[in-house]
Amino acid sequence: MKLETLNYDLVVVGAGPAGLTAALLASDAGLHVAVIDEQAAPGGQIFRQPPSTFNAPPSSAFASYPFGQKLLAQARNNIRIKWYFSTCAWGVFHPEKGGVQLAIVEGEHSHLLDCSKLLIATGAYDLPVAFPGWTLPGVMTAGGIQTLLKSQFLCSAQRYVLAGSHPLLLLLAGQLVDAGAQIEEVAIARPRPKVCELLAGWRALPGHWRMFGQLAGILFKLWRKGVPLRFSTIVTRVQGKEGVERVTLSNVDTNWDILPGTERHHLADGLAIGYGLLASTELARQAGCSVNWNPERGGWVVDHDDTMRTSLEHIYVAGEPCGVAGAEMAHCQGRLAGISIVAALRPDSTLSAISARRALGRAKPFADTVATFFAPRLDALTKLADSETLICRCEDVTAGQVCDFLKKHPHVSSVNSVKLACRSGMGPCQGRYCQHTVAHLVSAERNIAVNQTGAYTAQAPVKPIPLASLALVQQD
Amino acid sequence: MTYYLAKAGATVRLVERAQLNSAASSQNAGSLHFQLEYRMIENGSEAARKAAEAMPLHLDAQNAWAGLEKELGMPVGVSQHGGFMVAETPQQIETLKQKVMLERASGLDVELLDGAQVRSRAPYLSEQILGAAFCATEGKADPRSCVLAYAAAAARLGARINSGLGVSTLNYEHGVWRVHFSDGSECMARTLAITAGAWSGRIAAMAGVSLPVSPVALTMTTTVRTSPMISHLIQHAGRRLSLKQTGDGNILIGGGWPARLHHVNGVIDLDRRPELLISSLTGNMSAALAVVPALKKLSILRVWTGTTALVADQLPLLGEVPKSHGLYIATGGSAFTLGPTYARLLAERILGRPATLDITPFDPRRFGSLTLA
Repeated sequence: MKLETLNYDLVVVGAGPAGLTAALLASDAGLHVAVIDEQAAPGGQIFRQPPSTFNAPPSSAFASYPFGQKLLAQARNNIRIKWYFSTCAWGVFHPEKGGVQLAIVEGEHSHLLDCSKLLIATGAYDLPVAFPGWTLPGVMTAGGIQTLLKSQFLCSAQRYVLAGSHPLLLLLAGQLVDAGAQIEEVAIARPRPKVCELLAGWRALPGHWRMFGQLAGILFKLWRKGVPLRFSTIVTRVQGKEGVERVTLSNVDTNWDILPGTERHHLADGLAIGYGLLASTELARQAGCSVNWNPERGGWVVDHDDTMRTSLEHIYVAGEPCGVAGAEMAHCQGRLAGISIVAALRPDSTLSAISARRALGRAKPFADTVATFFAPRLDALTKLADSETLICRCEDVTAGQVCDFLKKHPHVSSVNSVKLACRSGMGPCQGRYCQHTVAHLVSAERNIAVNQTGAYTAQAPVKPIPLASLALVQQD
Repeated sequence: MTYYLAKAGATVRLVERAQLNSAASSQNAGSLHFQLEYRMIENGSEAARKAAEAMPLHLDAQNAWAGLEKELGMPVGVSQHGGFMVAETPQQIETLKQKVMLERASGLDVELLDGAQVRSRAPYLSEQILGAAFCATEGKADPRSCVLAYAAAAARLGARINSGLGVSTLNYEHGVWRVHFSDGSECMARTLAITAGAWSGRIAAMAGVSLPVSPVALTMTTTVRTSPMISHLIQHAGRRLSLKQTGDGNILIGGGWPARLHHVNGVIDLDRRPELLISSLTGNMSAALAVVPALKKLSILRVWTGTTALVADQLPLLGEVPKSHGLYIATGGSAFTLGPTYARLLAERILGRPATLDITPFDPRRFGSLTLA
């Protein structure tokens, strides 16, 4: 029994800023490159475009990240790279003959790609937060609402409440106002920034005036429309029969703990949740790359050296999987990874990493400031779930069930053991929704650090794939 | 075994290096198979006859599982709606005939069915199935909850349980075993029992004993949940396949497909999960699809690997280690299906009670000089 196998110098997973930058650079240097992406076109989440048949202005993300337009144009014109769009990379294997093997599925067919080097640039996804009512239709992540806006110009609702702490929430507020939606309130969990905090962030400024200008523009737009923007405010509950009808907000202290008696309500049919992003590290972890716990940068993030190589010789990483830091950092890391990979495979290459490292150094202070300024308080967010709240929506497991189990079984202190016993994390999302909530529940119940509770074991396939894609292949 | 010892009033301490349900005890397929398995019949009739020596344990296990939920006072997903071992070729039918004769001679109630009879009981099976052996007591249990249920019941009876505590050294001094733990603490015990699965050989080595136990890495796959369609346990007479649907609706597919053990300096690294082999995955899915064509429309949710322990002659290793002082072991063979039986019988032996079943054929003594310290 054999699957079809194809050979490449470099296979890149993810056609966002990091993956595209590396793939184009490696292809220009003469490497035989393949790029895998689940979407139908290049750009990733940040440069997602409407279908070409739409008569639409260019993406607003190009205003924040001017390199994007050129990157996408180059990608569209590159016919030397083998593009696998609408394709899922579901497993990394280590053949005995050396190199790396990537398993992909396109529709009903799985293939194996043999490569000398693999670059994992799988991006990030919205941090899910479980609170009473979060599974009602109309509650969406900021990224999800943005996807509908960017790709189809659709508003998921008419009257929104936006709750979170990530700058993406403000960007979304501006986009929703432009799209004609009504915003009842933008509720930011962190306290109003103090003057000294703003001053401490000065290092973020050089090279990023454009973004601060954009932010000021959005704030002005919200002010003009009379949209209230409140700090130290968190979402605590959503109610409604068949969808969102009423959103409850409360004031919080600096630890994001709820101040009793401060509840207030909005009538709304849409709620955007934007507390942050989680690094998408499932493929890297399944491959066996080592990770470290970094709650400010998206949870478990992939270890790498200063050439973007992971703990495994043939696997590199760039962008959000090595710590959520935004499109500009991803672009710079992709460039560095591309140069490193070319240098490893073509020792006579004249490409220099010096200017790539300098660009990375210029981008870093901004990313660092954003990370500390908007870091989500995962511990406080976990407390929003009451005992009836579903934390695993795939397998219908409530916070109360997990807490009862932990009380009854004092020998259990890892997320994987809870998964096996309670089924939280066993469904189609494979734990992406509940891992952090479960980890914080175990941490609180056992009084141990969150990272000591471990990460759900990442297994192939990292996303569900058709069984037939593995069995319906020609016999030997 | 902690449970059965505690139930008899003994002072017991269970020590687990990782988490209670973290290795083979939760990773195994959860099959309750009392017929001889494919691995026991694939090497000819002589090997099958040897494997059938363990049949008294299989017979005991049929009843042990039937009463387990009542015994532990907790659901552990036991369901015994029968199991088929299917055949796709006339040659496999021949193998089944011999197997059934052997099993009947050992006291197991097994029927031989033709293709039409098989499909009338299990309409989801492929037209390619020519016949099957059927054992009405076979079925499944939920390995994810069995260990925890035993632990909770043992703890209620006063057993002390430590997870996250490894054994560093074992020494027999002045008539007692002195056990040093990974956290620096120690304890003393008159009796030591090794129930460490793939790690059994290593623990025994700490006590100065060499036992022919080898780690074997295997692969399991689960589909997404689907509506009830398969109520039986399915095995195959000519291919590596075990298949069942859990109470939650997932279809579990396995059957002995290998995974690759990691090595460090030539020594097997039991601390790393064995590596999944793509050839095992495609082979296993092809076998599954040939037997149950309706799987075609399902998605695979998860594939995992785990490590079980097999003994050189494929029979269980159950009893007191010869020339040792109060050192016992239970491992090898179909250790999930036979787990409750191993535990009850070994507890009986440790407590010096009259044997309800003769376990001398499985005694480590059969390896003679190999077990010398």
